[in-house]
Amino acid sequence: MAALESTKMSVDHLSAYYGEVRAVENINLQIAERQATAIIGPSGCGKSTLIRCLNRLHETLPGARVEGKVLLDGENLYDLDATLVRRRVGMVFQKPNPFATMSIYGNVSAPLRFNSRLPGEEMDRIVLHSLKRAALWDEVKDRIDAPATSLSGGQQQRLCIARSLAADPEVLLMDEPCSALDPIATAKIEELIAQLKTDYTVVIVTHNMQQAARVADYTAFMYLGKLVEFSPTEDLFERPKEHLTEAYITGRFG
Amino acid sequence: MKFDRHGRRKIFSHSMTVLSGLAVVVILVPLVAVIYEAVVQGGAAFSVTFFTQRPANPCVAHPGIACPLGGVYTPIEGTLELIGLASLVAVPIGIGAAVFTVEYGRNRAIARVISTTADVLSGVPSILAGIFAFTLFLQFDKAIVNSTLDGSLALAVLMIPIVTRTCEEALRTVPESVREAALALGISRWKISVRIVLAAALPGVVTGVLLSVARAAGEAAPLLFTVGNGCLHPLQGINQQGCALPLWIYWGATSATTNWTTLAWGAALLLILMVLAISVTSRLVLNRWVRRTQGG
Amino acid sequence: MTEDPLSPSEAPRGYDLEVRHLTDRAARMGEWALQMVHDGWRAFDQGDRQLAQNVLDRNGRLDRLDDEMEHAVIAFLVLRQPAAVDLRTAAGLLKMTTHMDRIGRLGYDMGRLTTPVTGPRESPELRALLQKMDDVVESMVHQALEGLEQGRVDLARDLFHRDDEVDRMNRQAQRMVIGEIGTNPAAAARLANLVLVTRHFERVADNACKIAEKTIYAITGQRRTEYLPRQAPRLLYDETS
Repeated sequence: MAALESTKMSVDHLSAYYGEVRAVENINLQIAERQATAIIGPSGCGKSTLIRCLNRLHETLPGARVEGKVLLDGENLYDLDATLVRRRVGMVFQKPNPFATMSIYGNVSAPLRFNSRLPGEEMDRIVLHSLKRAALWDEVKDRIDAPATSLSGGQQQRLCIARSLAADPEVLLMDEPCSALDPIATAKIEELIAQLKTDYTVVIVTHNMQQAARVADYTAFMYLGKLVEFSPTEDLFERPKEHLTEAYITGRFG
Repeated sequence: MKFDRHGRRKIFSHSMTVLSGLAVVVILVPLVAVIYEAVVQGGAAFSVTFFTQRPANPCVAHPGIACPLGGVYTPIEGTLELIGLASLVAVPIGIGAAVFTVEYGRNRAIARVISTTADVLSGVPSILAGIFAFTLFLQFDKAIVNSTLDGSLALAVLMIPIVTRTCEEALRTVPESVREAALALGISRWKISVRIVLAAALPGVVTGVLLSVARAAGEAAPLLFTVGNGCLHPLQGINQQGCALPLWIYWGATSATTNWTTLAWGAALLLILMVLAISVTSRLVLNRWVRRTQGG
Repeated sequence: MTEDPLSPSEAPRGYDLEVRHLTDRAARMGEWALQMVHDGWRAFDQGDRQLAQNVLDRNGRLDRLDDEMEHAVIAFLVLRQPAAVDLRTAAGLLKMTTHMDRIGRLGYDMGRLTTPVTGPRESPELRALLQKMDDVVESMVHQALEGLEQGRVDLARDLFHRDDEVDRMNRQAQRMVIGEIGTNPAAAARLANLVLVTRHFERVADNACKIAEKTIYAITGQRRTEYLPRQAPRLLYDETS
C-alpha cells in the first residue's frame, strides 16, 4: 500500500461459515481509506460472503457464523453493536431494492427518519445533498415525491446509493452493483464510484474483471474461499504474482 | 375403427362438460335460493324504523290486533360492540403473533408451533370458542358470565387465528430485499418489523382484519350461551347482557311470532349485505395495493 | 509437475493460438528485416548495385509488415481485452515490430551507400573486422528472434553481454578508419561511408537487444532496470577500452 494511504478497515484471520460449511477461510486484508478496493473471483469463491462480513450482515442468516476480526479504524466491529456498525458501513445490493411503498424522498430520508430525530429542514438538506452526491438530483428534482418504483433500474440503484449515503457511512460496500443494469447505467455508476472515493472508502464485489480494472485502486482475487492475491489493480492485471490469478484473469478458468 | 375411437372420445368429452356444468348449477341453486328468499322476505322488513327502533314485544299478527314490528337497532348495536371489543383483543394479538413468526422466529421451532396452533384453532368448531369463554368467565366472576364481554372473548378466540394467518401471509409477501435494505441502513430490528415491513404489508393486514371481522359478525354459536339476551331493552354496559344480529336471527326464526320472524329475515339480509360490503372493500383495498407496488 | 490441489484444470483457450500466431508473424517480419541487413552489407561490401537496388525494393514490404502487425495486435487488444502475460506479449510485440522495422531500415541504409568498388578501398584488416561485425550482429538478431519464438528468457538475457562486444568492435573500427584516412587518402570517400556502416551495425545490435528486452518483459513482466545494472553512458572515443 502506498505510504500516504492509511488503512480504514483491516480483515484479520476472518473465516465465515454457513452451518458446518466454511465459505471463507482465514482472510487477511487491508482496505485503504478513500480508495476503491475490488474483490474478484469465480462464482462461489466467497466474495459476497466476505463483503457481508464487513457490515455484519452475514450473521443474520440462520446458522451463519464468523470467526476472526474486522477492524474499522482499529476497533473490532464484532465487539460493537451490530446496528451501529451498519450505520458506519453501508451497503448497496446487486438488485436495486428501494422501498417500494415509499417515495423518492421517503427512501433517501429513511435512515434519517428511523435512526434519528431531525427537523424537517435538516432532513431536506441531507436528502438534497445525498441525491446530488449520487448523481441523481437533476433527474428527480421535479418529482421527488413520486414513488421510487417509477424510476428506471439504473436510477433506482443510484437512489439506493443516495439512501445509503444519507446514513453518512464511512465505508460503502457494493455487492455487484451493476449486474442488473445495462451498459450505460453501469457506466454512470462506475463514474459515480470514482467521485465517491474522495469522501468514502469503497469496497466493490464484481464478477466483471474489466470493471475492477476500471474502477478499483486495489484488487483482491479470491478462489474457493481463500484470498489468493491482493495488489494494486495495475500490478494484478499486468503482472500477477500467483499462477492461479493469472489463469483466472487470462480466462483459463472460471 | 379410427373414427369410432375419435367419436367415443368426443362424446365422453362433451358429457363431462355437461356434468361439470350441472355441478355448478347444483352449487348455485341453494345459494341463489337463500339469497332470493332473504331479499324477498327481508327486503319487506327494510324501512327507516327497521334500523332505528328496538324490537317490539313478540306477537302474532291477527286481523284487528296490532303487531308492531319494531326494528333491529339493539342487535346492530350489540354486534358492533361485540366486534369492537373482540377486535381490540384479537387484532393486536394476531398481528403480534404473525410479526413474531415471520420476523423473529424464522426457522425456529416456536414459529412453527405458533403457525400450527393458528391453523388448528381456525378449524375448531365455533361453539367451542363459546364454551371456552363461558368456562373461563365462570372461574373468575359468575356475575359476568352472560355479558357482551364474555361474548366478545369468544369472538376474539375465533378471530385471532384468521388475523394471524392472513397477516402472516401478507408479511411473507414482503420480499427479503426490503428487510436486507433496511438492515444495511442500520435500522433496528423491531423498527424494521413494525414500521417498514408491517407498513409494506398493511393492505394485506387490513384485509385480514376485515375478513376476521366479517366472520365474527356472522357467528351465532359462540354467542349462544355467552352473551345472554339483552335484546329487548337498551344495552346497559359491557358487563351486562348483550345482543347480536346472528342471535336475533336464531331467536326470531325459531319463535312462533310474526314480527320477530320478519325481523329475523331482515337481519339475515342485513348480515349478508354487511359481509358482502366487507368482502368487496377488502378486495378493493388489496387491488389498489397490488397496483401501487407493482405499477410504475 | 506437482499438481496443486487448489488449481483448477485449465482449458486451452481459442486465443492461445492467436497469441502464438502474432508471435510467429513478428518473428517472420524480423527475419525479413535481418535478411535486408545481410544483403545490404553484402551489396555495400561487394559494390553490387543490383543487389543494393533489390534491398531497397524490399523496404516497401517491410513497411507493410509493420502496419499489418500493428493492426493485428490492436485488433487482439480490443477484441480480447487481454491481461497479464497476454497483455504484456501484445504490448511487447507492438514495440518489437518497431525495432524490427528499424533493423530492416538499417540494412536499407547500408544498401543505399553502395557504389562500385573500382578504386582504392579499406584495408583487408578493416574489411575483415567489418565482416566480423556483420556476423556478430546478424547472429544477435537471429538469437533475439529465436528467443521470441521459443519464449526463452536465457537467450534474451545473453544478448546483453554480446552487445558489449559489438561496442568494442565499433570503437576499434572507428579508430582504424581514422587511421586509414591518413594513410590512404584516396579511399577517403569509401572510408567515410564505412564510419556510417559501423554505426549502422551498432544500431542493429542495439535494436536486437531491445527486442530481447521486450521478450523478457512479455514472459516475466520484468522491466530492464530490474535485472540490468544501470550503465554509465560513455563517450565514443573514450580510451579506456
